[in-house]
Amino acid sequence: MSAIEESKSEAALRQPIAAPAVKSASPSYVTSVLNLLSSVRLGVALLVLLAAACMLGMLIVQQNVQPDFERYYAALTPAQKIIYGKLGFFDIYHVWYFNALLLLLSLNIVLASIDRFPSAWTYVSRKKLDASARWLRGQEKSASFVSTGESREEVAGRVAAAFLAEKLKPTVTEKGGKTFVFGERGAWNRLGAYSVHVALLTIFFGGFMTSQFGRNGNMPLEPGSASGEIQEQIIDVDQFSVRTHQLPFQVECTDIQQELMRKDGAITSDNTLNWRTWIKIKDPDPDYGEREGLVSLNNPYDYRGYRFFQASFIADGKARHIRLQVTPAAGGQPQEVNIPRGGSAQLADGTRIDFKDFQSNFSLGRNRPQGDEEGSVYNNPAAVLAVTPPGGQPAKAFAFTPEMAERAPFAKQPVAGYTFRLVDFEKAPKAHILAVQRDPGATVVYVGFTLLAITLCAVFFFSHERVWALVEERGAGKYEVVVGGNTNRNQLAFGDRFRRVVALVTGQPLEVKES
Amino acid sequence: MSEVLKQPVVGTPEFKLKSSLGSYLPSALAVGGALVLTYARFRAGGENFISDGALMMLALAAYLIAAVFYLLNLYAPSSLYERIGLGSATLGVFFNLASWCVRWIAYRDHDVAIWIKEGKPVSEWPWIFRNIPFANLYDLSLAFAFGAGITTLLIAHRKNFRFLAAFSLPLAALILLLARFIGNDILMLQPVLDSYWRPIHVGIAAISYGIALVCFAVAVVYLLKDGVKPESMAIWASIFAILVIGTVSKGTVLGLGTVFWGFDIGAVGSYGSAVFLPPRFPLPLRAEIPYVGWLLVASALLLVGVVVLYSLYVFKNDERARRLGHHVLKGALVAQVLAVFLLVWQVKAIEQVAVCAPGERPASTACVDRRGYARFGSWMRQQQQQSPEQVAALDPQLLEKEAAALVNQRQGEMFLSLNANPVELSALITAVAGTLFVIIFGFRTEKLREALPSREKIDSLMYKTAGVTFAGLALLLMTGAVWANESWGRYWGWDSKETGAFVAWLTYGAFLHVRISRGWTGRAAAYFAIVAFLLVIFTYLGVSYLLPGLHSYA
Repeated sequence: MSAIEESKSEAALRQPIAAPAVKSASPSYVTSVLNLLSSVRLGVALLVLLAAACMLGMLIVQQNVQPDFERYYAALTPAQKIIYGKLGFFDIYHVWYFNALLLLLSLNIVLASIDRFPSAWTYVSRKKLDASARWLRGQEKSASFVSTGESREEVAGRVAAAFLAEKLKPTVTEKGGKTFVFGERGAWNRLGAYSVHVALLTIFFGGFMTSQFGRNGNMPLEPGSASGEIQEQIIDVDQFSVRTHQLPFQVECTDIQQELMRKDGAITSDNTLNWRTWIKIKDPDPDYGEREGLVSLNNPYDYRGYRFFQASFIADGKARHIRLQVTPAAGGQPQEVNIPRGGSAQLADGTRIDFKDFQSNFSLGRNRPQGDEEGSVYNNPAAVLAVTPPGGQPAKAFAFTPEMAERAPFAKQPVAGYTFRLVDFEKAPKAHILAVQRDPGATVVYVGFTLLAITLCAVFFFSHERVWALVEERGAGKYEVVVGGNTNRNQLAFGDRFRRVVALVTGQPLEVKES
Repeated sequence: MSEVLKQPVVGTPEFKLKSSLGSYLPSALAVGGALVLTYARFRAGGENFISDGALMMLALAAYLIAAVFYLLNLYAPSSLYERIGLGSATLGVFFNLASWCVRWIAYRDHDVAIWIKEGKPVSEWPWIFRNIPFANLYDLSLAFAFGAGITTLLIAHRKNFRFLAAFSLPLAALILLLARFIGNDILMLQPVLDSYWRPIHVGIAAISYGIALVCFAVAVVYLLKDGVKPESMAIWASIFAILVIGTVSKGTVLGLGTVFWGFDIGAVGSYGSAVFLPPRFPLPLRAEIPYVGWLLVASALLLVGVVVLYSLYVFKNDERARRLGHHVLKGALVAQVLAVFLLVWQVKAIEQVAVCAPGERPASTACVDRRGYARFGSWMRQQQQQSPEQVAALDPQLLEKEAAALVNQRQGEMFLSLNANPVELSALITAVAGTLFVIIFGFRTEKLREALPSREKIDSLMYKTAGVTFAGLALLLMTGAVWANESWGRYWGWDSKETGAFVAWLTYGAFLHVRISRGWTGRAAAYFAIVAFLLVIFTYLGVSYLLPGLHSYA
């Protein structure tokens, strides 16, 4: 019925002498512990325990799930807090007994594989080429019929050709006046289960490397700012702390952009198509030097084993560039100028305009609460400018939208001989927060993933199918043929193939017996 | 001594055992037809074409008709029944897939309308996979049901497994019904989800969940064939139904809420449905739906009777208890059907939600449940950005007063909707379906067992579907991990959806290993397959509706 069980029973059949010799002495403790550790039953028990621990971790909110954990923890009774805390239930996936379970499972996989591999290997190395008629009739599928032919070899040849036609590689042998035809396909499938487990162990090992050597942290970046460190938040039940890791290089932010779904909407993540952060990396190592990069959503940037991702942003209603209408107070044609964030523009008469800051909700004197809403919605947008006449001192000026300027008399006051109107602007947040990750284990895990995907498909979409035929002479020109076969999986498809093989030999569909 | 022969077959027989390609015709027709319909929708535009919601209801009806005819065919074999069954199953899969594809175009149209208004040039429109309908549980349920439907059709290429549709398609119909209750609103896509990993990851999820559903149906059939008494199944189905009735409506019906959330005992026997504010904003506040609560209490009592009577039969072999149990079970079915019917009908028929004077209820009105005021008040405070500690420090009476003030002020706008509690409603209907099926199983059980294929064949199919589910869930976990690593910078974070899928995968792994350890084969394996599917459903719904985490959108 199954790969491993069957391989054991067949191996046992072949070496009947080996077993009783050990039986006389009672097994030592070491042996019985090893037997337990390499048993499939322990494996199943460990899987169930692991599943139970994971269920606990799902039902009890884990401390790294914020802000839900805070709410959940506040609602617990003191007794629950103490008991869950002592048992490590708030961080169950990192508690010692969880790791011990994983370790034990790995050990179980290794030992069980060592225990069972040799008998699986015999399917490849020592093929069973002959079989008795009785054994054949006891197989999952069997059939027998009488065929006429010139000789035993001729009948066996027909059988072998039928095997070959059904893609079962035939081998013909003779023993004691009988001819045997053995055909099989996919013997390697017996080893598939082992490669699946190798893949799993690779993934476990990669996970271990991540937990030991991995680094994770956040880096908030405002345009124009630079940083050489990342901040990792450490949570211990209800205590927060921040651990800072130094990077071996400096990251400077040159520009940030937020592509919005609706341009007239707020800068919230719902209304965002993409975040883009342009960075410049300055590495003291002369081999690397300076380079530029772009981090956008689902499109991280890699540098020296570090990955930069878009994680979140601080809205605070800023603008990436503005378009101003500048009108001379003394009369004359208004002109339009474009100024990028932090940049400046020069008018024909040499007056310089610096784009200093941007406010999404301009207000006079009133102390407005700055909640999330306030920073992402542009109710009263205003650009803060510094205007410097040729040879003069810079003066502060505001540029409002034309509608807003109508309502605010002071906006009509010229500064340095000009009035300014905000015609258009590109919404942008104040800062993007990049997540920075260094994970030497990820490559190992990916190798394990690839291996697992391949081997799982190889195991479950293929099978090892074996068919034997025994040809015996029964009177002149008459030969009895007994055919039997089995498979390690996909009985249904094997049954079809078996029927086709028998039909090919006899020339008609024949009743097939199933054990 | 041995030689490998490579000569041509002598006298190759010219007959074929079966036409293998023709038996896949239903699957090909369903998928091909859906693609043609999608193309037609693409050409015709949205206004004058059938909507995805209507197609979904057609799929639901077709699945149910197919299941009924296949069931009839099991008891009274007839080639006509079988042909109608196969035809409706094919139609169902066709409607199901068409609904999903049409929804894709509807999503696209929705976004394109915005981009045209914004004046975005066509060259800058995001790619078509941004709009793939894998955005919420409605979309995923459509795909999930399709996965189950197409798997059933593919398995039906073996004639002796066609009967499986009688068990798997009702489950697929339940998934579609859940989708109907979730509602097909078009939501804004969270930007992080706009990745090519989404179609890969969620597509694998839908198909593997579908195969898992079929595997579950096979496991139930295996248990039936293996001689598990329908009465034992009825005990389990009744316990499930009692648990559902006990937990719906925040546990008011059977008083479990009194134990866990400290409601007053007067809540027993009342069933509330969540209240909405315009446009479609659900509130954590319920309004009492008359009669439903007491009918559910009656159902639960009858089901407890079933558990007791059938236990007497199963453990003490009391034949009289069995006969009595049959009647009680039928009574429980009637009570449950009535309760669900009254619930659905009244939610649709009741015109207004209002605060009622004690003991009074104006006609066609649902009364707001005042017991929920404290919870509603604290929710209101948290909506105003107050932290849980701050809210906990407040006087509960103040919170109740605030809640009462808001409810009094806005009661005229409040309304009820079938979309209020999709999981609750689906769970209640699943409980009804469970009761119905154990009654069917109890009807001429021996005849039913004979009509099923041999135990080995069922076992082989169970192993095959579980194996493919195991491989599928592994791919699901791995693609999810790779996507998470590309988007969040970590491939595994023990997020509740990740963990849920992992637990289901472990259980299928346990299933595979149980089969190779001596002495645990057969029934034990089938139980693992059943538990594993329940865990898949828990991951699918429980995580999204009950647990916090990154996947709470779907």
